[in-house]
Amino acid sequence: MSAPLLEIEDLTVQYRTNQGMLTAVSGASFTIERGEFFGLAGESGSGKSTLAKAIIGGLDDNGEVTSGTLRYRGEEIQDLAETELNERLRWKEISWIPQSSMNSLDPLQRVSEQAAEIGRTHTDLSDEAIREKLKEMFDVVGLQQSRIDDYPHQFSGGMQQRAIIALALFLEPSLVIADEPTTALDVIMQDQIFKYLDRTKTSTDTSLLLITHDISVIFESCDSVAIMHASQVTERGSAQAVHDNPRHPYAFMFKEAFPDIREPKRELEVIDGYPPELMGDVDICSFADRCPWAVDECRQSAPSLDPVGDDDATHAAACVRADEAYELYEAEGTDPDGTGRTIAPEEDD
Amino acid sequence: MSNDPPLLEIRNLEKYFEESSNVLDVLMRREPSQIQAVDDVSLTLEENDSAAVIGESGCGKTTLLLTLIGLHDATGGDIYYKGQPVSEFDKSDWREYRSNVQVIFQDPFNSLDPKMTVAESLKEPLKIHGIGDRDRRVREVLEHVELSPPEKYLGRKPANLSGGEKQRVSIGRALVLEPDVILADEPVSMLDVSTQAAVLNTMKNLIDEFGVSMLYISHDLSTVSYISEVVNVMYLGRVVESAPTEQILADPKHPYTEALVSAIPVPDPHYNRERTEMSGAPRDPVDLGEGCRFRDRCPAVIPPDDLEIPQAAYREVIAFRERLARDDLTLDRVRAELDDSTDTDALAAALREEYFDHDLMGENDAVLDTALSALAAGDGDRAGDLLRGRFESVCEQTPADVTTDDEWTVACHYYDDDTQIEEKRVPTTD
Repeated sequence: MSAPLLEIEDLTVQYRTNQGMLTAVSGASFTIERGEFFGLAGESGSGKSTLAKAIIGGLDDNGEVTSGTLRYRGEEIQDLAETELNERLRWKEISWIPQSSMNSLDPLQRVSEQAAEIGRTHTDLSDEAIREKLKEMFDVVGLQQSRIDDYPHQFSGGMQQRAIIALALFLEPSLVIADEPTTALDVIMQDQIFKYLDRTKTSTDTSLLLITHDISVIFESCDSVAIMHASQVTERGSAQAVHDNPRHPYAFMFKEAFPDIREPKRELEVIDGYPPELMGDVDICSFADRCPWAVDECRQSAPSLDPVGDDDATHAAACVRADEAYELYEAEGTDPDGTGRTIAPEEDD
Repeated sequence: MSNDPPLLEIRNLEKYFEESSNVLDVLMRREPSQIQAVDDVSLTLEENDSAAVIGESGCGKTTLLLTLIGLHDATGGDIYYKGQPVSEFDKSDWREYRSNVQVIFQDPFNSLDPKMTVAESLKEPLKIHGIGDRDRRVREVLEHVELSPPEKYLGRKPANLSGGEKQRVSIGRALVLEPDVILADEPVSMLDVSTQAAVLNTMKNLIDEFGVSMLYISHDLSTVSYISEVVNVMYLGRVVESAPTEQILADPKHPYTEALVSAIPVPDPHYNRERTEMSGAPRDPVDLGEGCRFRDRCPAVIPPDDLEIPQAAYREVIAFRERLARDDLTLDRVRAELDDSTDTDALAAALREEYFDHDLMGENDAVLDTALSALAAGDGDRAGDLLRGRFESVCEQTPADVTTDDEWTVACHYYDDDTQIEEKRVPTTD
């Protein structure tokens, strides 16, 4: 009873390529509790979508979990066969709201037919019970119950997205994985979608793994967060701890890169370069080449994700300078040597 | 100097499309529907100035851009470049205009030719316009857009550039002809946040240091303050509010702008932002007719003076009337769910169930009942008349622009009696 809903421990995922093994996720660890909204953030190339796919056994053919464990309610699931995943986990335990969700409904099938197909494959429910569950969930996401027999084209874009959320939720899964669920939508529609996701949190005790490049959405809507950079989890913890007391340079520079309409003139952080593609075992900090505070040690081994020792026990950072980087940043900005970005000093010393 | 005409002026610009008609439409002699993509938009861009156009998808901002670069012909109003109307341009005027007005497109991943090197991409516009000294110009431009040293980038193809670098090349390509005006269509929306700020800074520098004027078109209000001093908010083809950027973010006047600003996520777990009150999406811009375009979704739509009705209930009536007028009610489906599809009383009750969550009182209730019965009996026109007679809103007339001394313009009936928009008069929603 006490096992967390999902535990990811030291997970490494690699893709076989012509150049060798490409590492998309390296040594990632975090835990999602029951009823928790967990945000996984990072820019493109961070490995966040790969990690999510690994959880439901949805990696591309050339991808595999090469080490580490994925535990769902205490049971290891990284080696489960396709049939087992289908029979036991997918949809009724862990469901998925995909990234390009506008295209993920079958245009030739009524939404209720698509629900029936999912229900028959993954549960023993009768068609009538499936319809009732879908109707209830249509209500939760703000669609008229009478529209479950509509075809996808009869819905507007935002309504389609809500129909997809209803399909992801109607079998009452314990965990929903949403990969950039609102990225293609305007802000008002995005806010409507999150209003309905909030509602499922209170009405069904569902956990959410929200994958997004947009940390604003995570700080607003999630209880906890992990920030990834080029295959590594750089920092994780409660949203409040990571927001108030960030330790990893990538975490706080990433956070400071986001505009906040409350401060329209605040200078936005720029992170030079881009995430590297990493082949084979990752034995460096993947952020070292972009980090203003990097030292030799950062390139000698991959830093471990260690607790940072504040009030939040889950708060951890993978940085050898975790105890001083943020103070240095606050004191000197991202230009510790006095060269580079700022205007050059008048005299050299 | 001050008497010079503005660099670029859009006056009452209108771009309507006719919806394609089919054989049946011709036989029935139906008028083709009008898609009112841009409707009576006016904007001015002075030299070394920047203005933003903000709106959701479908608001007409991209049509506005395409009309500005001559890919669409305006169906009304005009565009003036240095005082000269675009509609009177001859071939050489167009040539000059196209070299002086440049565009940066949204998608740096598809807007560069994958087979061309950076140097070739940047030289192409110079060749087309017959400008010499190309090597030097291209190097200079690369420095300006912070791709330095230029040697590092000249021989690269797009596949070997990051997203931010590609967008810098696109900006360089727009800049290489030394234009007066740059039209930027969502230039950072496809970039990672780590490079977004750097590209915004580059564009801001073009305005500050190179005297370029910029029209910044975006759906994103949160980054607009980094580019532009003035924001125009568009909704369904019209500018509903225009004001200095910081003021509009802090104190939006138009109910739509307010909804838009308040839906922007705030990156702070301690800040308790309310989720939006709005439902649905903007309708299609087809045959919009008179009136405020936002009235069917407006949280503050104005009831007649003598009508006593709670705002939420009134909103439902307005939304229902809009759907009725647009023939957008799901009558057939509601009827199909009935036990007896000929039972008009049951149909009226089911319609009420479907479209009305709030109860009405007294005469309001009686009028709605009569109207729904008429509709159930097949007389939609009478239902519409009955409802209009009781519930007609001033918002069904097109609101005029009200402008203050400090260049704040808003088109909303809440400000009708007020030439000075001193304080927000829109009541907070219930």
